[in-house]
Parts: sequence; C-alpha cells; structure tokens
Amino acid sequence: MIRHILNLGLRLFLVCAVAAVGLGLTYTLVKERIAEQEQKRKAEAADTVLAPLQAEAEEDLDLTASLQEDFPDLISVFEGKGAAGDVVGYAFVLKSKGYNFITMAVGVSTEGKVTGIKVVTNEETPGLGSVAAESEQFLGQYQGKGPDPLTLRVDVDAYSGATFTSRGINNGVNMALEIWNRLGAEV
Amino acid sequence: MDKEERKRTLRGEFLKGFITTNPLLVLMVGLCSALAISTRVENCIFMGLAVIFVLTCSNVIISLIRNFIPDQVRIPIYIVVIASFVTIVDLTLKTIPPVYERLGVWIPLIVVNCIILARAEGYASSAKVSHAFMDGLGIGLGYTVVLLIMSVFRELFGTGKIVLFNATIIDLHIKAVPVILIMFPGAFITFAMLSALLQWHQARRKPESKEGSG
Repeated sequence: MIRHILNLGLRLFLVCAVAAVGLGLTYTLVKERIAEQEQKRKAEAADTVLAPLQAEAEEDLDLTASLQEDFPDLISVFEGKGAAGDVVGYAFVLKSKGYNFITMAVGVSTEGKVTGIKVVTNEETPGLGSVAAESEQFLGQYQGKGPDPLTLRVDVDAYSGATFTSRGINNGVNMALEIWNRLGAEV
Repeated sequence: MDKEERKRTLRGEFLKGFITTNPLLVLMVGLCSALAISTRVENCIFMGLAVIFVLTCSNVIISLIRNFIPDQVRIPIYIVVIASFVTIVDLTLKTIPPVYERLGVWIPLIVVNCIILARAEGYASSAKVSHAFMDGLGIGLGYTVVLLIMSVFRELFGTGKIVLFNATIIDLHIKAVPVILIMFPGAFITFAMLSALLQWHQARRKPESKEGSG
C-alpha cells in the first residue's frame, strides 16, 4: 500500500519537476524582454505627453517611491528635462478606473498646466470606451488646463456614449494635478 | 480498442474538429472566453494560435506519457502539463504588450478551458501520438475558425470596420452601426446564429448519407 502511494507521488513529482525546469528556462529567456517592453512603453508615453515642452523624459525612481505612499495608483514619475537640463515639467504614469482600468500618462508643466495625455493601455469596451480613450478630440481638450481640479461637462466635454471612460480619464488628470500640487508644496 | 484505432485515419482525426466535433458549435465547450474575446479579429488570431499551441502540445505530451501516468493522479498530471504550456504562451505574449493587454486574463484561463482538458482526458490519454497530434491541431483550428467567423461579423458590423495590426482592412463608412454586436448580447446572438446554421446544415445532410453523424 505504502509502495503504491510512494509510486504515485514519485510519478507526480517527476512530471512536476520536468514542468518546473521547462518553465524556469522559458522565464529566463523572456524575462529581460518583458521588463524592456514595459519600460519602453512607459517612457514612450512620457515622451509623448511632454513633447509640447520639448523636454526629455527621465524616470525618477526615488520620487516615484516617495509619492506612491500617498498615491497608490501612481506607477511612475518622469521628469521633463529642458535643453538646459532644468526641470520644465513632469509626466505621471498612473492607473485610473473607467469601466475597467486605464493606464495613462499625463504631462504637467511646472506651471501646473496639462501638456498632454496619452492612454497607454485600456480595457474599456471596444468600440465605445476604447474610442474615447484614443480620441484626440476628447483628450486634446485638456491641453493647457489646470492646475485646479477639472470637472466634466464644466471644464471639458465628456465623450458621448462613454461616460465611465470620460470620468476615468478626468479622474486620472485630476490625480496628476494633485500630485503636481504635492510636488510644488515639497520643493 | 484495436479495431477502433485502425478505423481512425490521420486525415479524419484532423478534419473532425471542423464540423462533426467542433469544440464550440457542437461540443459547446470553452465558450466563455470565445464569447468574450470575439470582439476583434486581431484578438482571435492570437487566442486561436495560443489554443492551437497549448492543445497540440498537451495532447502530444499526454499521449506520450499515457502509460506512465497512474490512473489515480491523472487529472493533476494533465493540469500540470496544460498549465506549463499555458504559462509558456503567457510569458511569450507578454513580450507583445498591446496584444497581451487586450487578451489579458483569458490567456491564463486557457488552463481551465474545457476544450483542452476534455481532449486530454477523453482522447489523448488513449490515443496514438500521431492521432493525438492531429486531433489537437484539428480541434484547435476548428476553434479558431469559429472565433474568426464570429469576430469578423461582430467587428465589421459592430464598429463598421476591421482593424488589423493598426491598419484598417475594411471600412464600411457607416455611422449608425448596431453597437450591440460588440457588447455581450451580441456575442450570444452571433453564436446562436452560427450554431443554428451548423445544425441546419447537418440536419439537411443526414437523410442523404446513411452513416449519420460519422
């Protein structure tokens, strides 16, 4: 009886061991490429939203870590460096809740004006929310707004048919402005 | 079993996945993810490839080790094999972020997709390796074809155009599209119509061939 159980266990163990080795190998093969892709996507979005300032985005890990305590939805902070090497704006990559989660980058100049919004990924309803999240017309409205929190239908028009997504984007922008406020208070 | 084994031909094992034992339309397994992701043709291509890969690989491996697997622990072993291949697909797709974001949770969920476990338990565990391979390929392709038909219909009429890899392939230039098609009810409506169409086709064929459903 015991032999029988041991036999079962051993065979199960063998299968699992082979599977584990195979997965470990696959993981080491793709690990770096996955991290690279993540980083690239964030940096690209940060560059896009800081483009009006002609600044170069540079990730600030310490700043990100210190802000994340109060803003758990913040993913990372990029500093926009101008030609002279001074900080002319920030790009905040953060998560906001629309119908589902929206990951977006918001560029804010040192004066607290929105310089651009780029939705990195969204899981919104395809054809409805996803259109709003990619609409230049909708996102463009935020250009130059701030630093006071913005209200939908007062400061900006919501995208018709995509109320939740509009709200999610608006909340994301307000979060970015709030973080900017915090940065101003600290400096 | 020997007799049955001889009657099986590689071609037959491959082709049966398309009509007679189509996983979605006839067996009606693995529907959850199929209904959810068939909003975009692009998603379906990747989902189809993922399922074909996992199904074929797990079928072959399970068929290879079928004499090594003790009966009492066969289900855990199947799950380990399937989960390993799914994880490989998952990790690989992570290097293509736009696709991964959209397929999201549905890739890991292939582990518990009935199609794969059902083929492992009901077929690969008692079939020759070559047959198991063809079966996996055929069922996987049958699944993909149905997904593609559904998604072409839903994306084309639900959004008015088909976008593949950031290029618009077809644009109908209509403004008032029936948006319901890309939402959840649209999935059920499309699926039911397809299933009814296949049933009708099979029912019409039956009286002519004496074999019945072969």
